[in-house]
Amino acid sequence: MNLDSLKKFDLVIVVAGFLALVPLVSLQRTTDFIIFCIFVLAYDLLYGHMGRLSFGHMLYLGVGAYAAALSSKHVSTDPLLAIGVATAAGVLVGAIMGPIIVRTTGACFALINLAFNQMGYFLVLFAFSNYTGGEDGMSAVFGKVAGLDLSNRTVIFVFSLLCLVGVVYLMRRLTTSTFGILLRAIKENDTRVQFLGYNTFGYKWTGFIISTGLSAFAGSLSILNYTYVTPSFIDPTRSVEVIFASLIGGAGNVYGALLGGVGYMIISNYLPKYIQRWEMFLGIALLLMVFRFRGGIWGFLTGIVAGRRAEVRS
Amino acid sequence: MLLSVEHIDVAYGHARAVSDVSLTVEEGEIVFVVGRNGAGKTTLLKTIAGFLKPVAGFIKFEDREINGLKAEQVSRLGIRYVFQDKRVFAKLTVRENIQVAAFPSRVKLADAIETVVGIYPKIVQFMDKKAGGLSGGQRQLLLLGRALIGQPKLLLIDEPTEGLAAGTIEDVLRVLEGMKGKISLVIVEQNLAVVSRLADRVYAMKEGMIPVHLVGPQQIQDQKVLETYL
Repeated sequence: MNLDSLKKFDLVIVVAGFLALVPLVSLQRTTDFIIFCIFVLAYDLLYGHMGRLSFGHMLYLGVGAYAAALSSKHVSTDPLLAIGVATAAGVLVGAIMGPIIVRTTGACFALINLAFNQMGYFLVLFAFSNYTGGEDGMSAVFGKVAGLDLSNRTVIFVFSLLCLVGVVYLMRRLTTSTFGILLRAIKENDTRVQFLGYNTFGYKWTGFIISTGLSAFAGSLSILNYTYVTPSFIDPTRSVEVIFASLIGGAGNVYGALLGGVGYMIISNYLPKYIQRWEMFLGIALLLMVFRFRGGIWGFLTGIVAGRRAEVRS
Repeated sequence: MLLSVEHIDVAYGHARAVSDVSLTVEEGEIVFVVGRNGAGKTTLLKTIAGFLKPVAGFIKFEDREINGLKAEQVSRLGIRYVFQDKRVFAKLTVRENIQVAAFPSRVKLADAIETVVGIYPKIVQFMDKKAGGLSGGQRQLLLLGRALIGQPKLLLIDEPTEGLAAGTIEDVLRVLEGMKGKISLVIVEQNLAVVSRLADRVYAMKEGMIPVHLVGPQQIQDQKVLETYL
């Protein structure tokens, strides 16, 4: 099996894979998987490619979710407008907060994101509760798109799947472009990239904005799917979900993000039926990843293929 | 005069690493800076490159004051730095390492690869391999080739032959000799044979200062003078 030749058909494989999931986990659940994968792809640009671990990425998903809901309530029930407003909100938050956040590294970066996430959670829960519904959340009503009713489960599934295909294509092009290579070089050694003539701050800021914008996009799709938003969409304690997914799948790789997103959703949705303390299993799985399978599922698979190729040559 | 360093002081906190140092480089010249470990040679190079800021004095490049400019701004003026540790972007391929260097100079990737291949033809077989798998000598040649992308005016090279095998040293020296008259070089070096072979002028550093400046082959090849500073 040659993974490089399979990559040419990756978009087809993604579509086929999620279609195959539908009879196994249900249409609505597969839509959840798809939307979560978009969020993991957004997060992985920051973590896997730029090397910046964020503990507060739910902020940007939540910004998108609430922006979409508020748009549907106060502006228009047009779902495409809601998605546009939500994505723009994510981009704006990234643009405003980025200059503060991307200057930090390591633990400082992780915690400053967490701090901002906590602030966002507080604002939603208390300060702006008149607008957001506070603890109770708020509902969202959407109209049709090109005559298609997004409250129909099949329509929202197909719409989300098309969005995922678009995001996968975008991320694949982005991460293999000079911009993507630069992010990886900055991850390895920011100072040396500066000595080559780059203002690395600009590139880091841009990467951050793309990540926050895409996260907000995922948030808006969540609201289209559920037609309801609650503070759980911006809850900082849930940020570990996307971190786990990125690690399980294999950070720094588009396919790893997809595998990790699906893998995490399967674990978190189905394992609790069989194991009461399923989080412990997740913790053990994470330890295994950190100590034994650093490349995640995708790294493991590519390692097997590379090993077989070496055997054939020898 | 291409580069003029005038009476600079550089400090790490309260510790003065470079004190009242002046140095000049003309176009096409190869100038060496020699001295013991801790003499301030690398600090001097990093200050010229914009990584460190002098607390006193001036640095002028093509009659333009550059102290206070950031490293990326200095690089875009045509000054490139080749570090002592021979570190490439190990997780990127050789091709990607070259691509990263080509972009800010607005050089096409094919032309950038041609520049590097011109320095080290054998690099062609490693293009799609991770640069971290290259040997020390191969990395040094890649770094030198990468530094030449975009036709810089001045290269600052920190101990180019340190830790290399004799054969590889010869390859590196051939590359540096090929630059003579075309690009100005400021090279930090402790190998006196290399200094004697290539230098137009030599500055000897001791305890952050430059007490000796040697000009001309007769002075430079008098190794007794240089040895007192190593």
